[in-house]
Amino acid sequence: MDIGFILINATIVACIYGLIAVAVSITWSSLGLLNLSYGFIFSFAGYGAYLAARMLSDHPIVVLTAGILVGALGGIIICMLVFIPLHDKPNFTIRGMIGTLAISLIGSQCLLWYFGPKNKALPEVFGYWKVSIGNTVLTSDKIGIIVCSILMLVFVVLWMKSSRRGLEIRAMMMNPHAASIVGIGIRKTGFYVMAITGGMAGLSAVLLSQTYYIAPFSGLTPLIKGVSIALCGGLGSVQGAVIAAIILGITEALTSRLLGGQYVLITQFLVIITILIIRPRGIAGLLDKAREQ
Amino acid sequence: MSKKNYTWKNPLAVWGAKGGNYEVPSIKVEDPRSVWDKNKTYQVALYKVGRFKYIYKWKNHGARLWKRLRWWPTRRTLLHIRGYYNKKSLKAQKLIVDKRPIYWVVGLFALAVAPFFFPESMQNTLLTAGAVFGIFAAINVCWTLVIGTASIFSLATYAVVGVAAFCTSWLSINLGYPWWSLPLIGMAIGFIFGGIIALPAMRLDGFYYALLTLGLNELCRVYVVTSKEFGSASGGLYGASTYINSDWPPLMQSMVSYYGAFALLIAALFLFRFIDGKRIGRLLKMAPEKREAFAEATGVNYKQARITVFLISSVALGFIGGFYAAHYRGVAFSIFSFDTLLLGLAMLTIGGIGKAEGAIVGTLIVVLLDKVLITLGPVRHIMIGLLMLFVVLFLNKGLFGMKQQFRAWRDKKKGEWRSTRTEKGGEALPEEATEIDDKDYLYHRRFDKMQRDYLKNLVCDELMDEHKNKPLGQHSEALERLLLYFRRVPQNDKYAIKRDENSNTFKIVAFSGVRGMSPRLVEDKEYKTIEDAYHGVFVRRVYDLLES
Repeated sequence: MDIGFILINATIVACIYGLIAVAVSITWSSLGLLNLSYGFIFSFAGYGAYLAARMLSDHPIVVLTAGILVGALGGIIICMLVFIPLHDKPNFTIRGMIGTLAISLIGSQCLLWYFGPKNKALPEVFGYWKVSIGNTVLTSDKIGIIVCSILMLVFVVLWMKSSRRGLEIRAMMMNPHAASIVGIGIRKTGFYVMAITGGMAGLSAVLLSQTYYIAPFSGLTPLIKGVSIALCGGLGSVQGAVIAAIILGITEALTSRLLGGQYVLITQFLVIITILIIRPRGIAGLLDKAREQ
Repeated sequence: MSKKNYTWKNPLAVWGAKGGNYEVPSIKVEDPRSVWDKNKTYQVALYKVGRFKYIYKWKNHGARLWKRLRWWPTRRTLLHIRGYYNKKSLKAQKLIVDKRPIYWVVGLFALAVAPFFFPESMQNTLLTAGAVFGIFAAINVCWTLVIGTASIFSLATYAVVGVAAFCTSWLSINLGYPWWSLPLIGMAIGFIFGGIIALPAMRLDGFYYALLTLGLNELCRVYVVTSKEFGSASGGLYGASTYINSDWPPLMQSMVSYYGAFALLIAALFLFRFIDGKRIGRLLKMAPEKREAFAEATGVNYKQARITVFLISSVALGFIGGFYAAHYRGVAFSIFSFDTLLLGLAMLTIGGIGKAEGAIVGTLIVVLLDKVLITLGPVRHIMIGLLMLFVVLFLNKGLFGMKQQFRAWRDKKKGEWRSTRTEKGGEALPEEATEIDDKDYLYHRRFDKMQRDYLKNLVCDELMDEHKNKPLGQHSEALERLLLYFRRVPQNDKYAIKRDENSNTFKIVAFSGVRGMSPRLVEDKEYKTIEDAYHGVFVRRVYDLLES
């Protein structure tokens, strides 16, 4: 069609998956935990928002807040079940990853058991209006998704930059051992990190379900895309994740426009593999050493 | 043992010592050995420590030490047996150092004869589950080669199998290839696909590669699901040529599929044995994660070895993919699904990553839960997930690392218990005692402490009165023991009596213990007679004794 449409689609994809990518990135670099259960948190928060919309009210703020809060709760559950018991054990990285996968298996099956395989739809949070810029039509949900995710990202980045907790998290990112020596509790920081990243995954669940539905396994694609973006941008780097999200968003929009929807993942992975072969630690990752716990 | 108001017989009286009575009534005196006995016993409960040495072992004979069963025509032994002498009985005994071959033979034999013992009502379910177990165990053994031996954390194993299975099914359906050619074609496909995904493995390491392969798995799934040639409408590709003849009776078909999968498992185990246990596996054991630099410095080309193992297992996985297509007459999309990957990872984790026995036992547990308890619905996946979580949280190396972990934990606890049992033996603390060269001194301090403990028990009013009445001369046993101890103390700060020439009074002084330095005056009190002064010194000494 036109370049504006492609750019808008690319931005939306980048925004939603970028949220999860930044979440994966922050968790990895501060806690050393490769959290692969964001797929479960995604569905969990989606169902939470769905329940809130049905039980409380379908006011946009209530739905969005419910999504974020339930996502944060999911993050805290994972912190309690996997991070707290495992973080000082041998082989923490690999066991942590498998532990989060186990939680994701259990959680998705529980959701399937409780809610059934039928898809659930969230109310339209952003209304039904549209805006035209030139000959590009912007619908309300697209604008809402972009604005909300950018707000969330900016909030997280500012919080990490300016608050006491953010300082603790950044200290953990630099050197977890030294951080624990100067009195920054690993477990306490773990709760903050997992809550805030869970909240990001929850928000992305509400935003994505403006276009798709909520199902027990609907978190898988966002998880894999988010992880790929984080990988491509360099694990542990927020800027890298944002750049990678934009690159992959453009790739996705261009591919679906020029080649067709089924080739999206193929071109994306070709791009990711190319980037990783050139820079094995991702776009903004440090080349010499990976984070070592 | 204590003596109460008895008559003390003076052993010196026979020599006619002055004032020495033959028999003197005495106060209660405790046996001096009682303190020794009390000090020697532990105050806390005693537990048995050390290892049991009397476990029955096979008898041995010195002449038969080198007689072993060997793999013909090599000198390799079937079992690692060590001959040794029992430390207690000094009998010659045999110890099977590594019992794993026995367990392998027993376990595989049990799997081989299991179909004849399945109950009639569940025969079909169990035979189907057994075939699934065989194929998945073979896949997991190859995966163990990749993750354990080659230390490449690849999650694309099922993707390789699936790609080979889909391609061979497509070839068989559309071009009519026979069933026996499918595994062979699968090997070629596995080699090509494995080569493609090995490219990033040369540059990436650890979790970067795991995440990338996770994405590759999803990529294959999405591609196959959306592509018309691979049966996006029917949920899979079916109709491939198979080695199971549909004209046979159903039981025979099930049996053939069971033993086909079992043969595949045996083949995978042989591959594992000849990769992991031979030269290339040894090379890679030199280069575990985070110690690659050391291996490189000793001349091990670990990168090449890793990629070689990865490619060999990819070929094997391609073979399994072709076999899969020939076994099930095709392949479903579920081979690429995230749940299959999770279940596969659960199988590896539960058994313990890096060991063939772990992969097989983990597969057995998960397949039993998944396929045999199929009536439970989603609950069985929750059970598998909980089992996986339990293993990850509490076991360092899965079920097969339990023994080692338990022993490490037991040894730690043993040390802790031992440290609670140790108590202060004498005067010197253990840390202090190691610094003192004269060990005689340590023993003297210990003995001195016990002696003082004993003497303190003897002090009583009757004793003080006895000394006051008669400071010199024959005393009772208790007083005599006290005075003997007082006389034996070292010179420094030993009390003495000084007579003032002018007033003919007595004062108590204490020696300095240093030659040329005069004694110090202890107190200003003056004693009228020497007997009073004697008693004054005695009271001081008793007081010092009770203070110590």
